[in-house]
Amino acid sequence: MDNLYLPQLAVIDQIVDETPDTKTFTLHFLDQKHNKAFAFKPGQFVEVSVFGKGEAPFGLCSNPLRKGNFRITVRATGTVTNAMHQAKVGDVFGVRGPFGNGFPFEEVMGYDILIVAGGIGLPPLRSLIEPIFDKRKKFGNFIILYGARTPSDRVYKDALAEWAARDDVQLLQTVDRGDESWTGNVGVVTTLFEKIKVDPQRTFAFTCGPPIMIRFVIQDLLAMGFADDHIISTLERYMKCGVGKCGHCAIGHKYICVDGPVFSWQQIKVLPER
Amino acid sequence: MKVGQKYVLDKQAFLAVLDSLRRGAKLIGPTAGPDGDVIFREVESTSEFTHDYVNEFDPIKRFFIPHRQDLFRFQLDKMPKFEPLVDTSPQILFGIRSCDVKGILHWDKFFTGVYADNYYLAKRANTTIISVACNRPLDTCFCICCDGGPWLESGFDLQLSDFGDRYLIDVGSAKGVALLAKVKKGLVAATRQDLEHRKELMATCDSQMVPTAYVAKAIIQITNRRVREELWDEMGYECFSCGGCTHVCPVCTCYDVADYMETPTSGVRFRCWDSCQYSGFTREASGHNPREKAKERIKRRFYHKLSYAYVKLDGHHGCVGCGRCITVCEAIGMLDLPAVVKRLRREGQPAPEEQGA
Ligand SMILES: Cc1cc2nc3c(=O)[nH]c(=O)nc-3n(C[C@H](O)[C@H](O)[C@H](O)COP(=O)(O)OP(=O)(O)OC[C@H]3O[C@@H](n4cnc5c(N)ncnc54)[C@H](O)[C@@H]3O)c2cc1C
Ligand code: SF4
Ligand code: SF4
Ligand code: FES
Repeated sequence: MDNLYLPQLAVIDQIVDETPDTKTFTLHFLDQKHNKAFAFKPGQFVEVSVFGKGEAPFGLCSNPLRKGNFRITVRATGTVTNAMHQAKVGDVFGVRGPFGNGFPFEEVMGYDILIVAGGIGLPPLRSLIEPIFDKRKKFGNFIILYGARTPSDRVYKDALAEWAARDDVQLLQTVDRGDESWTGNVGVVTTLFEKIKVDPQRTFAFTCGPPIMIRFVIQDLLAMGFADDHIISTLERYMKCGVGKCGHCAIGHKYICVDGPVFSWQQIKVLPER
Repeated sequence: MKVGQKYVLDKQAFLAVLDSLRRGAKLIGPTAGPDGDVIFREVESTSEFTHDYVNEFDPIKRFFIPHRQDLFRFQLDKMPKFEPLVDTSPQILFGIRSCDVKGILHWDKFFTGVYADNYYLAKRANTTIISVACNRPLDTCFCICCDGGPWLESGFDLQLSDFGDRYLIDVGSAKGVALLAKVKKGLVAATRQDLEHRKELMATCDSQMVPTAYVAKAIIQITNRRVREELWDEMGYECFSCGGCTHVCPVCTCYDVADYMETPTSGVRFRCWDSCQYSGFTREASGHNPREKAKERIKRRFYHKLSYAYVKLDGHHGCVGCGRCITVCEAIGMLDLPAVVKRLRREGQPAPEEQGA
């Protein structure tokens, strides 16, 4: 019988400082067989352990089409995440998963894609963005909007620069507060909507970020004429087990860890709370 | 001997069989506590059992997932090592009441599925359930409103009905068959009269139930969101957020997980009972808390217990009628399940079509 709670050991191959409080870890499983078999869908998450400190969920942010290792981007906010930030290359974490339903990927092929990310909401969306680039011909127009508190709070500055240079995607960025180096847009992420052209009929919108941002993004998408089932969002909840048992992540009769974290607005709007 | 058959056996002869099994399994049953309470605990001999009780204050679920359960032990090293701590020791639960058996049946369903909880299932597979039908209820019992008792059609390994010096025994499973096969002599098939006698006992017990909970109307009110917002406000104001109702409830399952260091280099990961009524239950690392107010948490509890969405998911509503939340609730008489059901029924908003022209 499989043990739901026993993690697999994963070795840290690389650590990248993204922002003053955020790091990206590249990991591979110690057990080669497990490492080979490990597959995930964009938008799925893992439960990561620092033994003695505890366990916390993180969205997988690497390209699911590339095997051999995987990445998570972690903002230090408390016990587990601060302990993770102390780790060095070669150290090991415990990892369970992947869990959750993930973004529809095959299902939205042939459509235009609009991605709206806020702060630390970009990492899970990156696991969708990269495979879209890999299969770029299968998708229509591709727009990415990214908002962060300040220029230095943006994660993946290298990748953002790369995407900005591509001509098969339109990347627009904004910050709440600029600095002397910032020449781009200032304002919340929804201020970018007036700068883009989308045809809501042929577009799927994906959004992830803080709850308040998601609320305003959805409001604007609806006003732009997006259908409820063309707006795809993630719901975040305090999670413990990741497997629909501990009860922490329940909203109505849905368990965000197994029924989500990805939902369409059509599914979200009928939940008794948000 | 087959599942579904009914026998009669002298009480002492049955208890003697349990005594003979004690070496191979923990024997757990009702004992008299220091203040006249009934406590289910492990015994050395069936002579420690009390037979004069209705139910225990604590729910029996703790013999499957204890208040604190260690999941695995770890050793911190360059390469951490860990070892799962799955408890497979056999146990016999004697004397548990129908409502608690119904609670376990809910747990059986909940802890299986795509992600099966092997800690629960290992304990469950190694447990024999001998339930005892109730001849009298407590003044808080309302299992007849919830299909929780006072006796059961199935779900037990053996079900006993107390006839004074004899037991009527329902055989509910292969485990029950195996246990009963240990009886050397005195086991006789139940007669029609015996079954009639049980019927009378059950009817008497039914007629003594005091609290009534017409859950059907409450399910309709909650499912269609016809509950006045102010009613939730009132309940949130009354609730102490002590979590007692969820801890004593045989149906509730929520838990928390944490690590505990036993030495500087070794420790355990454990889980412990948690409650959706605690304000920290949903608080996220960002500080954002989607159920900050007691009102939102109370609403959550009764949505879970009574909405049709959950009835569909679980196959039943979330109460077995044990009445423990009546006993434990700090907001005396206002927030236990029958009380809330009554309030939802009386004070809920009528359906739009019922509001008249
Ligand atoms: C599906 C899902 C996906 C997620 N994906 C990601 C992701 O990709 N990346 C990511 O970074 N997060 C992600 N999160 C959030 C992440 O899970 C939490 O940040 C993490 O659980 C926090 O755990 P912790 O033990 O570090 O915090 P806790 O210790 O639980 O923090 C508790 C509280 O104490 C405060 N606190 C504790 N210690 C300190 C301290 N030293 N300084 C300041 N405040 C402190 C914190 O502010 C917080 O409010 C995701 C969450 C979910 C549910
Ligand atoms: S809700 Fe109350 S009466 Fe119903 S099963 Fe739970 S504790 Fe017992
Ligand atoms: S609720 Fe019913 S089954 Fe449970 S102890 Fe009371 S009478 Fe017995
Ligand atoms: S995280 Fe435990 S039920 Fe979802």
